[in-house]
Amino acid sequence: MTVRIFRWRAIGPLLLFTLLGGVLWLLFADRIARASAEKIGTAIVGAKVEIQDLHIDLKNGDVTVRGLTVASPHEALKNLFQADELVADIDVLPLLEKKLVIDRLAANGLRFGTARTTDGRVPGDPDASIAGRVMGEAKDWAQRFQVPALQLATGKIDVGTLDPRNLSAIPAAQALTTRADSSRRAWRTGLDSLRLGAAVDSARATLARLRTARATDLAALNDARRAIDQLKQARDRVTTLERGVTSGLAALRAGVAGVDSAKQRDYAFARGLLKLPSLDAPEIGGALFAPTAVAQFQRALYWTQLARAHMPPGLLPRSGDGPPRSRRAGSTVRFPREHALPGFLLRTAELSFQLDPTATEPKRYAGRLTGLTSDPALYGRPTLFEASAPTVSAGAMLDHVHRTPRDTAGATMRGVRLPVFQLPSLPMRLDPGQGTAQLGFTLRGDTIRARWGVRSTQVQWARDSAAARSTVTDLVWTTLSRITDLQVDAGVSGTLASPRLSVRSNLDEAIAARLRAMVGDEVAAAERRLRAEVDRQVDPVIAPARARVTAVQTEMTARLAEQRAKLDQAQRDLEARIRAMTRIRLP
Amino acid sequence: MLTIVKFVQSLIKALHSEGTPGQLAAGIALGAILGLTPLVSLHNAVVFALIVLLNVSFPGAMLGWALFVPVGFLLDPVFDWIGHTLLFTPFLTPFFTSLYNMPVVPLTNFSNTVTLGSLVFSLLSFVPLYFAARWGVTRYRATIGERVLQSKWYRALTASKLYNIYRLFRPEA
Repeated sequence: MTVRIFRWRAIGPLLLFTLLGGVLWLLFADRIARASAEKIGTAIVGAKVEIQDLHIDLKNGDVTVRGLTVASPHEALKNLFQADELVADIDVLPLLEKKLVIDRLAANGLRFGTARTTDGRVPGDPDASIAGRVMGEAKDWAQRFQVPALQLATGKIDVGTLDPRNLSAIPAAQALTTRADSSRRAWRTGLDSLRLGAAVDSARATLARLRTARATDLAALNDARRAIDQLKQARDRVTTLERGVTSGLAALRAGVAGVDSAKQRDYAFARGLLKLPSLDAPEIGGALFAPTAVAQFQRALYWTQLARAHMPPGLLPRSGDGPPRSRRAGSTVRFPREHALPGFLLRTAELSFQLDPTATEPKRYAGRLTGLTSDPALYGRPTLFEASAPTVSAGAMLDHVHRTPRDTAGATMRGVRLPVFQLPSLPMRLDPGQGTAQLGFTLRGDTIRARWGVRSTQVQWARDSAAARSTVTDLVWTTLSRITDLQVDAGVSGTLASPRLSVRSNLDEAIAARLRAMVGDEVAAAERRLRAEVDRQVDPVIAPARARVTAVQTEMTARLAEQRAKLDQAQRDLEARIRAMTRIRLP
Repeated sequence: MLTIVKFVQSLIKALHSEGTPGQLAAGIALGAILGLTPLVSLHNAVVFALIVLLNVSFPGAMLGWALFVPVGFLLDPVFDWIGHTLLFTPFLTPFFTSLYNMPVVPLTNFSNTVTLGSLVFSLLSFVPLYFAARWGVTRYRATIGERVLQSKWYRALTASKLYNIYRLFRPEA
């Protein structure tokens, strides 16, 4: 009996099945594409992406999206933006390579920062999603800034109990003492092991023999030369040891400086314990506006790092999140090839948007985005964004073409409604009204330079009636409520690993001056008392450590100089005797 | 419960289908590819077409699929590892780069670690699985198969309308 390989009569049902699949695709392609776009968009942004309607017209290569809403990944009840309509002119053939190339995108009715009724944030798993990881990193970065808390003392300022276990100068000084002792022991041992005494004694014995030898006694002369060589070798050993001692002494001196720094930190720590009001203007600026400024920089960093994750430089294979599914998603690896099309490319986008859409007559603006791609090295040009209008100018450049990515963004908005500031630690709100907001952000490799500024001349103040009143807050309220203009400037510089934050505002000096006038004397007295307390606890440990270092330095310098002098003297004596015997100048 | 009943029905029907043990085993091995790899993949359309067009046991394929879906879920970490290892093997990079930039091939989602790992695993296990299944079916039919065939509940099963649909895809002698 032979078994046939093909089941010919199944061809009909298979074709029917294929046809059914085609019909289903025609019926549900838009829905499937909409669901996929929402899923992918949500994964990329890290917040809900919702689309009301999506229509694919493959024949004409058009995709139309209506009612796009992208939630903010940073604020619960706010959208990042909404768009009435997006029309994309796509290349159809690259779709066969699973590549999406959009020649032109027209986005109409873009509105930013609109309200939403549900929380649109999607908490991403930092280990599983790129957005979750980047969000976590941006949060960690923001927490590197130690924002000082503005503390307004309401009672008597007193020097509290200072626990010596919390003072860093004491263990630092003790460690320095131990190090100085162990260094001294090691150097003494080192000096003894050089056996300089033997070399000097041998040279002296040779010198004694030379004094009785004749000029023709070549053996004695050779012994003398050997002794000189031994002295030179001994001096080399001394030089080597001296080098080690010098660097060791430098480290000990650095240790002394470190102890002094630790003492300064102890002063600051003790001051923090006492909850003294800060009278330093920059610290007040930081306390009032740093949280808002850091939040702005954190957002800018999030978007920049997200762009870097999805638009990495170079052509090496790289993995990204796999497709969301009930089974493990795995990672999807991209293999870009030179001169091939990128996986995603948006050549040009024309954007029409509104700022302040709640205004009675919202103004329309136009912007342009070019070269947004998943493989910048293949596209070969940076991604550019620009938008300009009489009161708004914004621009961004994401240059991931080269090995070191450079991202720059900047925006200035004049005459826009600025958000209300709730001043931390102060029971009052600041409503800047309409004003100017500026943000500049540059990330070159991991070097960051960012600036955020706010200007307003129509400031209004509101006091929190529920908060407890005190003399200090009354005085601060009296001071601030007279101020009608606002200037805030915040900046971040340095590297991502160690950023530096500076915040200044025109309110700082006003508050500081008022506080100084009020509690200045008491604060100064309390500071003097606490410094004295720190000195009392720390100095008995620091002083011996410092003295020990000085003693080690003096002893080792003297001993090395003494040994060197002995060697030099022995060599000079021998050389003089040889010259006297031979009347020949030695080389 | 219904799922379990259906699964048992499928198992019995497959084992007593009219195909040879080889046809049944080939169906199980092809169905295993469907079960082991992520279902919504382009290569599974090809596998499905093969199941329909080749003279293998269709119930066997469905049985293989049903049996290996949980195995696939369990082995996903292994597939992920296999796929990751293959995709990041330097000497294979030019090959994968060519595939990735070819029409249609990227639609198979081969560059996904789980998809590639599971596909490679299922292809490698195809032949051993085929022989193991063929041996198992032969042994079953030689031992308890006849008694099951004579049982009342099996007769009830074959008398159902579903059986008629099944007959359309039964292996041809």
